[in-house]
Amino acid sequence: MAGPLPSEQIELLVAGYVLGDLDAEEAEEFQRLLATDPTIAQAVAQMQDALELSFAPSEAAPPAHLRDAILNANRASHANRASADPSPSSGRKFPIRLRQILELLAAGLIIALAINNYQLRQSQQASQSPVQPQNRLTYALRSTTPDLPAAATVAVDPKSLEGTLTAKNLPPLPPGKVYALWTVLKPGAPFTTDSQNAILTDVFQVDAQGNAAQALAVCDVHRSREWVAAVAVTVEDAAAPQKHQSKPILVAAL
Amino acid sequence: MQFESSSSPDSSSQQTDTELYRLLRAGRADVLGILYDRHVGLVYGTALKILTDPQEAEDLTQDIFLMLAKKCSYDPARGSLRTFLAILTRSRSIDRLRSRTSSRESLRRWQTNQSPEGGVDSPSEYASQLEQSQEVQAALTQLSSDQQQILRLAYYEGLSQSQIAEQLNLPLGTVKTRARRGLIKLRQTLTDYTR
Repeated sequence: MAGPLPSEQIELLVAGYVLGDLDAEEAEEFQRLLATDPTIAQAVAQMQDALELSFAPSEAAPPAHLRDAILNANRASHANRASADPSPSSGRKFPIRLRQILELLAAGLIIALAINNYQLRQSQQASQSPVQPQNRLTYALRSTTPDLPAAATVAVDPKSLEGTLTAKNLPPLPPGKVYALWTVLKPGAPFTTDSQNAILTDVFQVDAQGNAAQALAVCDVHRSREWVAAVAVTVEDAAAPQKHQSKPILVAAL
Repeated sequence: MQFESSSSPDSSSQQTDTELYRLLRAGRADVLGILYDRHVGLVYGTALKILTDPQEAEDLTQDIFLMLAKKCSYDPARGSLRTFLAILTRSRSIDRLRSRTSSRESLRRWQTNQSPEGGVDSPSEYASQLEQSQEVQAALTQLSSDQQQILRLAYYEGLSQSQIAEQLNLPLGTVKTRARRGLIKLRQTLTDYTR
């Protein structure tokens, strides 16, 4: 171990960082310490080791092909996002030659994905299983009170468990409050829920016009509608939205 | 850990997780490989331990890293990336386990494979008990039962401090302090086994 032991207060901050529970003020203090005290990084590494030795399973080496599969999928996704949102600054970022190489790589990936998709379809047809539609699951949330003309739409890809949330005409909230998006499950659903049978799916804010649009990463319950009873929005405390203390202001009941 | 402003590929491998995560979210797709190399053992190991199926563990590992690149709720100022990844992987693994068509059979098979000797409350606790060396078991016995329980709830179940406080009917500040002091004690006891 290098350097002197940190003081007790510093150790508590390091432990909080490793556990992921620093509040905003502590986080600021910790970042300041990290930037000025070279022993902090070592203390973090030791604390992380102690936590994992005690509670994490052994590490395991994945198959070698997984790395390339993940990096290729990420590059393809990145290329798609870049081509869908071309901006002048991104156009100047790379020399033309590099950009051409990236475009070729992206094109190659698209072809590879197309071939892969074709092979997958062939495989599905060969096994005579019904072709699964790539439909997104869409939930149209409506206001629960006539005097609030708000609405929201949640669309989820049941395969990737990624989705989007768009909302309109919701009043901007005061500081300390946040909109919470909930997935309410049917009784007996085999998922961990809160006391109201709900899973906190995400939190969001609206702009000055009352609109919101953001990406979602949802849990496995969204692989189908089987266990979903409703999707709802409430207003919660920003510090603890999981407490689920408010009634829905928007809901899509199934 | 260096806090450099440079973001050239050569310097990336020396950068902290926080710096790399910020670069990744800023569009530097290439740094995902470095984060993968650093943490895939933990992510894949956790997924494999719970799911027991290498293919499913692979799929989940892919989901976790792509989620990291695209959108996730990690706040690098408030906690370490490794802990975030461990909790996320465990939580997603258990979700998958539960949602399998033959979930009961899978759970039974998994539990049988773990051969617990009893006295544990959740499937996720089996793994740790078998993984722990005698030294770690001894270190854990030096923690109070509250400290052990709080650390398990935080790291295994991924519960927030507020949720733990509510579940154990303890003040939030008490939960936070006990968790941190418990971890500090573990580090002190296991000093020969850490970096």
